[in-house]
Amino acid sequence: MVLGRIRNFSIVAHIDHGKSTLADRLLALTGTMDAKKAVDQVLDSMDLERERGITIKAHTVRLLYRARDGQEYTLNLIDTPGHVDFSYEVSRALAACEGAVLIVDAAQGIEAQTLANFYLASDANLTIIPVINKIDLPAADVEETRTQITETLELDGGDALAISAKHGTGVPEVLEAIVARIPPPEGDPDAPLKALVFDSFYDSYQGVVVYVRLTDGRVRPGMRILLMSNGRACEVQQVGVFSPDMRPVEELSAGQVGYITASMKRVADAKVGETITEAARPTAAAFPGYRDAKPMVFAGLYSIDDTDYEALRDALEKLRLNDPAFTYEPETSLALGYGFRCGFLGMLHMEIVQERLEREFNLSLIVTAPSVQYKILTTAGEIIDIDNPSKLPPPDRIEQMDEPYVTSSVFVPTEFMTAIYKLAQEKRGEHRSLEYQGKRVHIKFDFPLAEIVVDFYDRLKSISKGYASFDYELSEFRPSDLVKLDILLNGDPVDALSIIVHRDKAYEKGKALVEKLRKVIPRQLFEVAIQAAIGSRVIARETVKAMGKNVTAKCYGGDITRKRKLLERQKEGKKRMKQVGKVEVPQEAFLSVLKS
Amino acid sequence: MTVPEAAEVGWYVHVPFCAKRCGYCSFNTAPLEDGAMARYLDALHREIDLLGALAWAPRVRLATVFFGGGTPSLLADDDMAAVLDGIRARFDVAPDAEITVECNPESVTREKLEGYRGAGVNRLSLGVQSLDDAILPRLGRLHDARGARAAFDAAREAGCANLSVDVMYGLPGLDLDGWARAVDAVLDWRPDHLSAYGLTLDAGSLWGAAGVEGIPAEQVQIDQYWRLARAAATRGLEHYEISNYARPGFRSRHNQIYWRAAEYLAAGPGACGFVGSTRYANVKATPRYCETLAAGALPIDSSEQLSSRQKLGERLILGLRTADGVPASWLETRLDGDERLRRRVDTWRAQALLAGADDRVRLTEAGFLLSDALFVDLL
Repeated sequence: MVLGRIRNFSIVAHIDHGKSTLADRLLALTGTMDAKKAVDQVLDSMDLERERGITIKAHTVRLLYRARDGQEYTLNLIDTPGHVDFSYEVSRALAACEGAVLIVDAAQGIEAQTLANFYLASDANLTIIPVINKIDLPAADVEETRTQITETLELDGGDALAISAKHGTGVPEVLEAIVARIPPPEGDPDAPLKALVFDSFYDSYQGVVVYVRLTDGRVRPGMRILLMSNGRACEVQQVGVFSPDMRPVEELSAGQVGYITASMKRVADAKVGETITEAARPTAAAFPGYRDAKPMVFAGLYSIDDTDYEALRDALEKLRLNDPAFTYEPETSLALGYGFRCGFLGMLHMEIVQERLEREFNLSLIVTAPSVQYKILTTAGEIIDIDNPSKLPPPDRIEQMDEPYVTSSVFVPTEFMTAIYKLAQEKRGEHRSLEYQGKRVHIKFDFPLAEIVVDFYDRLKSISKGYASFDYELSEFRPSDLVKLDILLNGDPVDALSIIVHRDKAYEKGKALVEKLRKVIPRQLFEVAIQAAIGSRVIARETVKAMGKNVTAKCYGGDITRKRKLLERQKEGKKRMKQVGKVEVPQEAFLSVLKS
Repeated sequence: MTVPEAAEVGWYVHVPFCAKRCGYCSFNTAPLEDGAMARYLDALHREIDLLGALAWAPRVRLATVFFGGGTPSLLADDDMAAVLDGIRARFDVAPDAEITVECNPESVTREKLEGYRGAGVNRLSLGVQSLDDAILPRLGRLHDARGARAAFDAAREAGCANLSVDVMYGLPGLDLDGWARAVDAVLDWRPDHLSAYGLTLDAGSLWGAAGVEGIPAEQVQIDQYWRLARAAATRGLEHYEISNYARPGFRSRHNQIYWRAAEYLAAGPGACGFVGSTRYANVKATPRYCETLAAGALPIDSSEQLSSRQKLGERLILGLRTADGVPASWLETRLDGDERLRRRVDTWRAQALLAGADDRVRLTEAGFLLSDALFVDLL
């Protein structure tokens, strides 16, 4: 394969700007996929991804394209995740490319993630092809969008291609631009193998399937390869490309993108960022180390049925094979028993992991209130990291508590500015800068991470009728006046419901929380008192009255089967309850901590 | 069809017709159109014949026969006699068999009930429901309080020595005082048996579908339950099942078959049976029931074979509906290895909702009121 005829590229965009639609078009246009057979947006292959309309994992597909110069090119499209929680995964995928197609919606203009993705692509030294999509929309303003591209991204807006991925308008020019503007990969196929792992997934038949970008050398089945970070060696079983399904090939060589299987059992054996080389003839230096994905949000995961603990552990292990971005370690809760403290990139990531565990492994789970990681300076002069409120030392042993802050960008039409500032104030945001861009403003805020991980994004979307966009990155730790808010059921604290909150918001939060719990905790044989407390001081209380009457009046010959089936269904519902002390607490009670 | 295990079984015969459907009722009923009763009776006789021709039929003895509905008292007395004769011709009916007919007050006369008695009917269950003339029409009942009393007297005059009355509480517009008056009045009639049902809005009923105004608050319904329980005790009636009271010796033998998870046959549209480990149900729609039998087939529409776990679950949740409760060993079998359930059962005991005497466990009257909360766990 001639390197000059390979192009490795990515498509990046703000959510809903048309990334998957363009990818589908490219697949259809290059005959990679029969348009009739096309499942909508083939790259979003996880059920969850299709349901939520977002890409979670990176995907890769090889397109064969005969360009107008008469030559056939191999275009490797490396699709990237499309949510603010997954910017790290985006950065890994971009590192395997030479160029990126940056889509901007002609009606929406540049949004927060357009900017964030642009910076990631620039940092990876990619050639960027700006593409203005959705020019068919009545509200499309191509000239204004060109101006934004020129002014905000400092790219040549005049160079931007104007397309409608939905109708196919201008899409052939995108393929031509990829060939013309993105440089071919460089590398020496005869040098020792050097391949970058940029993603991987676990397949129950083949073991770990590793996505690689070769910069030097070749790899073929039977070759003994070496994973440079851990010195592990293994034998290649299969190499191949995605077109779009996995298709084995004889060999992958320098500049190419494809996959390798080598009977690896765990994704952790070949971590993202790993350098793969030839065991007999190793390359001189590995790729500069990738940072590990750093979890931002932590929560306890418990199986509702205690006997499922082992099953949960196995499921977590299997899931991590596919998703190295989340972490887990065993923890114990007085209320919930044995479980795991898990770290996630963000709330969406947390929901996805929970949903996958329940769907793919048939588990019923409780997720405890999510927490960020705090830095505690103890009176003894130690600094400890706390990601679980119940592990917080008693107040008299805390000298200072620091909480993580983020810097964030909000893009919003000017009419929603007041509402955005109000929300920011409620979330302890600090205004940094304000910049008018036509009818929109770009506002920068600093926020405590804890304030934005939970419902901030949803709130932002709802108060701006969906127009606001948002992106953030972790900046620093700052000292803060924080307290631990405990929830007590019939006088016993439920550690899994404890949260760390700012002192000024503790009362309001406690009141909202007990109210919410009163609504979700069903009536029991006895009265249940729900209290919120800071230390020994109770700040809010609600009561769930004892069950009065729960009886079937008539149960004769014709009623028995129906009655049994009704009770069996109720029993299924009760399986989603956790016994905390004597009180039966439904799964959603633990989630209510998030939503109150 | 599965073979019965026991030597003695019960038999439920469903008479689907009603002159009018009541708001709270979700039973299988059919309008009484011209000729419908004759077609039904023809089909019922065929069904009795088909069942009687089964190999095991001569071996089982019928301990009870129960005509439920619908409104069984819409049957003329000679039709009733013909059905019972048909059953006796094919099956061994125990000499002391309990033979019950459900009656609506407006559809009975002394003469008809004498005819029933002559046909072998020895127990009547009278659907009084309420003694409040403002409430009765709202329920969709066709009688008034005086008519109810008249029907009761007619039954006694016809020689019925085992007479049950059905009443309902928790009804729209029924306050505690009104209920107390109704309870005292009905008890003054000295029925042998009393069934008292808290109103339930079943999905299949008119009220369940359309909703109904004026249902008393939960606490009022609970007070009504206790008001009856105390009054019945004072009059010497035992509270032998969640919704049933009887003078000693007058419990419903047929209904106890259900609560003991014992076997019973079924006849009539939508009727349910339990034979061996199989629960089955007849075709529900009356016309199709008749057509199936006209074609010479048993009208069994669905059946389910119970697992041993399901059987145990049913025995527990049915048996615990009664004051006799269940053998402690049954509960122990269920609790074996389920520590969580054992702890929960302990809570029931600690709160005096569940009691144990000797080798049996039973729900208390307070436990009856909450019983479904325990039954969910016991299944």
